[in-house]
Amino acid sequence: MKEQVVCKTTDLEPGQMKASLFGKQNVLICRTLDGEFYAFLNQCTHQGAPLDKGMICGATTDKSKPGEYDYCRKGEIVRCPWHGREFDIKDEGRMLANPNKKLPSYKVRIENDDVIIYK
Amino acid sequence: MAKNKIAIVDTDIHERVQYKDILKYLDEPFKHYITNCHWIQEKHMPYTQPAVAGVDRADAVLPDGRPAGSDLTFMQKQLLDDIGHEYGILTSALDPSPSSMHGWYEMATALASAYNDWQIEEWLEKDDRLYGSVHIAAQDRDAAVKEIERVGSHPKMVQVLLPIDDIMWGDPFYHPIFEAAEKHNLMIGMHHNEPPVYYGKWPRYFIEWHTLIPTAHMKQITNMIFNGVFDKFPNLGLMMIEGGFTWVPHIMWKMDQQYRDLRHEVPWLKRKPSDIFKEQIRVTTQPAEELTKQEFTSLIEQMGTDEILCFSTDYPHWDYDSPTRALPNMDPDLKKKIFAENAKAFYPKLPNS
Repeated sequence: MKEQVVCKTTDLEPGQMKASLFGKQNVLICRTLDGEFYAFLNQCTHQGAPLDKGMICGATTDKSKPGEYDYCRKGEIVRCPWHGREFDIKDEGRMLANPNKKLPSYKVRIENDDVIIYK
Repeated sequence: MAKNKIAIVDTDIHERVQYKDILKYLDEPFKHYITNCHWIQEKHMPYTQPAVAGVDRADAVLPDGRPAGSDLTFMQKQLLDDIGHEYGILTSALDPSPSSMHGWYEMATALASAYNDWQIEEWLEKDDRLYGSVHIAAQDRDAAVKEIERVGSHPKMVQVLLPIDDIMWGDPFYHPIFEAAEKHNLMIGMHHNEPPVYYGKWPRYFIEWHTLIPTAHMKQITNMIFNGVFDKFPNLGLMMIEGGFTWVPHIMWKMDQQYRDLRHEVPWLKRKPSDIFKEQIRVTTQPAEELTKQEFTSLIEQMGTDEILCFSTDYPHWDYDSPTRALPNMDPDLKKKIFAENAKAFYPKLPNS
């Protein structure tokens, strides 16, 4: 499978995500608040939970100091529905607590109203 | 068995009651206190559980908004049928947790009875795979014994549940509870509620508290063993639920070392503590730390037996362990033991087919 339309741009408001199929693979389409689209394998790297059942949200960042929370990145982080692991949509799906781990990702392009993903 | 080639006995499934569901099993005036006076059980913890949906797996919250674990049909679909459980043991969501209440023993006792009746009627008698835990208000010891006598002989009740909280249950005051459990072939299941893990208080962050839960489990085991519970009740077993397991070799070594030096103080112990542990204490696997096969095998060797660990999911809570992903690959014989045979050998009332 080279490329496939996985949804319409109108299917997702900024800050939302949804599951779709890319061939037989269950994929996660995310739309960040700036309107951009991203696609990942819809499976947590830890125990395989379906990420679309989690949430797209912000994060307390590494700029935080002891006792002082820095919360931002709204709409740019996917959190797993089970253990709450956080993946950075805008940084190749890297896990915040361990950036060496990342969600397998797909390339995305938009044509007319179609969201197309490809390897 | 649907997807799994091996049988699974899940030793920690949290069914959840909503207070409105147990009203019909409650007598007055207790029903009145909930319906009209808005009683809810006290909570101690200052934090939320900072996962996606609080204490629950976000995908286990019911589509109509009811809390995870509150609907048998949904649980069957998402857990029992999907994974292919042979048996699952219900351990409740610890709300109500009658034995954790600081006062109002009458309410605690009434809640325990209502909960048991609800559990039997709404869960145990509706799904052959589910087995249950007897709830008691242990602080009123004599009422607790009566409740064990009342429902303990139900064929699907396999253990008496005690919270790991701020009471050490090995105290001889509570021994009549163990006597009643032993009489009915019930084991003791201990699950933490909201134990103070920081010198009797709360650490500043949830992550500290959650890290230290195994210390509360170790305290109960140390207390039960040195108070002679297992010598006094040789047919009693203790299942430690939801503390993980990587601490097991440590507490075995530590207790044995102390026993060699200080046995004089606890002369009723006839076996060394690690032998008592191996014979009468079992530990559920969740929440499993991520270990390599080599690390896991080494831990089992350090325990001196492969019969202690019993698989558990903790469904539907956020730190759920998947039966296919949480533990490393292991040899087929060991896998059978951990996923089913150890639990079947431990609970006398669980069918051992």
